[in-house]
Amino acid sequence: MRSRRRNRVAKSGFLLLASFLMIVPFLWALSTSFKLPGDVFAYPPRFLPDPFTADNYRNITTLIPFPRYFLNSTIVTGTIVVLNVFFGTAAAYAFAKLKFPGRDAIFFLLLLTLMVPFQVNLIPLFKMMVELHKAIPPLGADTYFGLIAPSAVSVFGIFLMRGFLRSIPDEILESARMDGASEIRVLRSIVFPLAVPGMATLAIFTFLGAWNDFLWPLIVTSSEDMRTLPLGLALLARRNNSDWGTTMAGTIVTAAPMIIIFLLMQRRFIEGLTAGAVKDGG
Amino acid sequence: MSAKIARRFRGSSAGYLLIAPALIVTIVFLVIPMIVSGYWSLTHYNGIKPPQFVGLQNYVDVLTNPRFQRSFQNTIFFVVMGMAIGPLLGLGSAILLNDKLRLRALFRTSFFLPTMTSLIVVATIWKLMYADNGVINAVAATFGLPGHDWLNDPTLALPAVVVTAIWQGFGFETVVFLAALQAVPKEYYEAATVDGAGRWAKFRWVTLPGIRPTIVFVYVIGIIGSFQTFDQVFVMTNGGPIQATRTIVFDLVDRFNKLDIGGASAVAYILLVFLAVLSYAQLRLGEARD
Repeated sequence: MRSRRRNRVAKSGFLLLASFLMIVPFLWALSTSFKLPGDVFAYPPRFLPDPFTADNYRNITTLIPFPRYFLNSTIVTGTIVVLNVFFGTAAAYAFAKLKFPGRDAIFFLLLLTLMVPFQVNLIPLFKMMVELHKAIPPLGADTYFGLIAPSAVSVFGIFLMRGFLRSIPDEILESARMDGASEIRVLRSIVFPLAVPGMATLAIFTFLGAWNDFLWPLIVTSSEDMRTLPLGLALLARRNNSDWGTTMAGTIVTAAPMIIIFLLMQRRFIEGLTAGAVKDGG
Repeated sequence: MSAKIARRFRGSSAGYLLIAPALIVTIVFLVIPMIVSGYWSLTHYNGIKPPQFVGLQNYVDVLTNPRFQRSFQNTIFFVVMGMAIGPLLGLGSAILLNDKLRLRALFRTSFFLPTMTSLIVVATIWKLMYADNGVINAVAATFGLPGHDWLNDPTLALPAVVVTAIWQGFGFETVVFLAALQAVPKEYYEAATVDGAGRWAKFRWVTLPGIRPTIVFVYVIGIIGSFQTFDQVFVMTNGGPIQATRTIVFDLVDRFNKLDIGGASAVAYILLVFLAVLSYAQLRLGEARD
């Protein structure tokens, strides 16, 4: 009995240490973001900033256009999420519930593309966007269109939603069709409302991927005005080695929206991310 | 005949209409670039003059290039070290978390935080902590340990970047394994207990087979992700010191920046082949289970 209790204490101790190691770097970044430049590397390290300064946050709004990066990230991520949820659900519905020649073959070919790493398409895609920009200036490289279009639909999203939509009983759809509803109407008034939990999972995945994306924004944008948050932060972190306070303020601003949304919707996040990994029923 | 075809396609138009956006985006932004990239990998191309067909010359050049070989070795080191340590830590802590513990929700949340944040954020924070006069050396000093200039030391830089990757992936692995452990039916354990199985026997014969698909999933996701390592290296070390942290994707982007587009495309296809082989291995592993 006593050894079991000691066991429990040891386990909790280990887990406490592990969660400490997971959280402390974020707290250290937060603390550093409120420090004067001279205090960042003070020895012994000080966990509470003393004196406390908000200058670093002023810097990332006046010296570096972080508000603009934030706006760009919001526009790009928001549009990608909406497009993915809408087109992904529509395509998944067709693959799950409609019959048309070539359906399964097309779906299989789409799945094959999941194996292709993005780096393979990177350079031709960039060239394509450069040419498009020359032809039609509001589109192509260094525009919102260029940042958004390649991520407008994801095969993974269709795959996820298809699995979800298959569980909708055919009878519901049939009875709507008997009442004379068109497929588009069935989609709008029956499938979309029933698919909300699946769409939420898809939205979370897409949001996570788009908000944190780095390689494509790095390649496709060239002007300061089009940078997204991770890109702006990465360039700041590389360039500005001495000014760690300001860099950490940028880190906090980049990470905060994701962390806040995660804390608010934790259960859904974790269920969504683990859904694909575990088969029910053992 | 046409009546037969018409009958077959009747009611199909909605299906084609609904998959059209997905299909168009995939073809235009994925399939066509992929084919173009394959062609460029067989040419000398600097992005300005028209590509010149050279057969497999780029592949020969890339595979015999010491910088690429170094990048390849570093990536393999990254994959092997990350995968040898990360998932085991994740499984271990998932097993601990699987017992009903107070604070379990808190543990799960805190473990998951790094998974939510971008690699750029994680890399930036760790770069600060790894600094010569940074907090890691300061803590080491209080224990009487010597400090290191982690990211500027050719032997330490790569392991230091790997530690960051393990730290970031740990929460995901833990949470996924925890979900898998909870899905193993309790009756199996009860039956094993009746048969007189000890702890290790239960783990070996009940737990492991039960979470096998999840183990395959975690390793495949992890290996594919590690093979594409770029973001952390870009922020933390820029491939240095003296190529110590250069990865395959870093090599690709570097070639692109130097306008060696033929070479960069060849690197991309070498990566594609590796990942395709891995995906195939995953399929086979999945089949072996059934």
